[in-house]
Amino acid sequence: MSGIRNLIGLVYEGVKDNRLLWLLIIGFALFPIITHFADLPFWNDVAMRIMLLGMAAMGLNLVLGYGGMVSFGHAAFIGIGAYCAGISQFYGITNGWVHLGFSIITCGFAGLVIGYLALRTSGIYFIMITLAFAQMLFFLFVSLEAFGGDDGMSIDRAEFGFIDLYDPLRLYFLIWIALVVVGMGLMFIVRSRFGVTLRAIKSNASRVEAMGLSPLRFKIVGYVISAVVCGIAGTLFASWQEYVSPDIMHWTRSGELMIIIILGGLGTLAGPLLGAIVFLLLEECLPLLLGAAAPAYAENWMILFGPLLIMVVMFGRGGLIGLLSQLQVRRNARSDHRGP
Amino acid sequence: MDKSVLELRNLCKSFGALTVTNDLSFTVEPGEIHALIGPNGAGKTTLIQQIYGAVQPDSGQVFLNGREITGLGVPERVQAGIGRSFQISNVLMDFTVLENAIVAEQARLGQSFRFLRPAFSDKSLKAGASKILSRVGLEDRAMQPASDLAHGERRMLELALALATAPKVLLLDEPMAGAGLEESQRMTEIIDQLRGQVAILLIEHDMDAVFRLADRITVLVEGAIIATGTADDISNSSAVQAAYLGSA
Repeated sequence: MSGIRNLIGLVYEGVKDNRLLWLLIIGFALFPIITHFADLPFWNDVAMRIMLLGMAAMGLNLVLGYGGMVSFGHAAFIGIGAYCAGISQFYGITNGWVHLGFSIITCGFAGLVIGYLALRTSGIYFIMITLAFAQMLFFLFVSLEAFGGDDGMSIDRAEFGFIDLYDPLRLYFLIWIALVVVGMGLMFIVRSRFGVTLRAIKSNASRVEAMGLSPLRFKIVGYVISAVVCGIAGTLFASWQEYVSPDIMHWTRSGELMIIIILGGLGTLAGPLLGAIVFLLLEECLPLLLGAAAPAYAENWMILFGPLLIMVVMFGRGGLIGLLSQLQVRRNARSDHRGP
Repeated sequence: MDKSVLELRNLCKSFGALTVTNDLSFTVEPGEIHALIGPNGAGKTTLIQQIYGAVQPDSGQVFLNGREITGLGVPERVQAGIGRSFQISNVLMDFTVLENAIVAEQARLGQSFRFLRPAFSDKSLKAGASKILSRVGLEDRAMQPASDLAHGERRMLELALALATAPKVLLLDEPMAGAGLEESQRMTEIIDQLRGQVAILLIEHDMDAVFRLADRITVLVEGAIIATGTADDISNSSAVQAAYLGSA
């Protein structure tokens, strides 16, 4: 009994220390109410995409932001997760829980193998090796004609027991629950002894070694966890899209995830989710805005998108989270100044 | 003295044609401060690296408390009881002083693979970490980011982290390097207080500190030992004067 009470206490403390993350997650839970009354069901779709990419980015952030490992191949794990759903369905396994289990095991194993080999290198070599692995897997799936090859394959939404994903909002809340689980899990990991050691390795691996720990082991475990998170996002992505193709693991997706993390705030819990929200909203809204202002150029919205991203990264050191905390500091300073 | 804490037997290491460690044997006895001196390029740091496990010798053996550790990697050697400070201060710059000590404390306890409880707010870890800091007098700086510490304080923190693993022998690679006069004196005092608690192998260019601290001094020139003895023996040795002290 006291174990449960302790756990609740830990959750409470963690949530209190990471208000922004949980505010955003609660926001996602309330969002369908807005779309319902505003009669904009399309935006539920956008929100699901944001949650899925945000989840994957949170997973990547564990190695990129907290562990300092610049993996340029995490789209591969999203792809493996998606194909776990696709291939299972191809062989008539429609149970979504099985898909998720299959995905967790496969991505964990792939993460272990790739991490074990790639983490012996660092810096630019690590970036290139992770990219190379991702490209190998990409072309593997392109070559698998049985599963649609280049064209991919259409799949049905998975069956989660009593949860019928074709009912409106069922998939939305399944994704939301996955986001809560991932958010909670990462919150615990990042603050734990393991997470602290991972951050220490990023800060100074040779000092951690001098404490008698082997940095490689911690990095591999972190890599596996982040691969599994991306795999879960990928499996749900497949159900959301009702379609799987190698496109989901194109190398540009790895880049997209990195941009989302840097935009939101590297090495923060809320950063990747906030980054995903802003990134994908810009992607949706910029064409509309530009279309209204200058219809002839609506297709060239990326001309605005690029500089905007660069500006956030340049001026908001630490991404949007960095900008927010700078504002907070400034506001605090001003109120101190006014004082009684 | 029945057993040496650290013993090197016939250690050899070459980089290409350059022999940096030449059939080198010596011991560090329990509780002593053993200084290793020699001109630049004598191979002092390479020797430390071989004891620490970051560089493997071409031949020869390293023993810790009579147990051979030659084939082991760095983390295993640290666990076996080798602690070290580096020539350039080596602390966790992104962390506070207390957090530095907490990471060391959980590593010492072998608890670094735990995923549930937050580490930095753990009371018992904090208590252990404070104890680590009090050994070098850094308790009042606990909440400072390590990057805000003055150079000398950072060296103290590094020493504290090295002591945190409860080493049997401590390798100190130029602990006074870059320190001011006052800082050097303070560091000398702290090392002096460690005498008897832990065996120390000290590399240092500050001769005042070496002669004040060392129970024994070994002089290394071009990868080989030319003399070992007490401070008096060394300062009176004509070979040492010719090779080292006189060359300045």
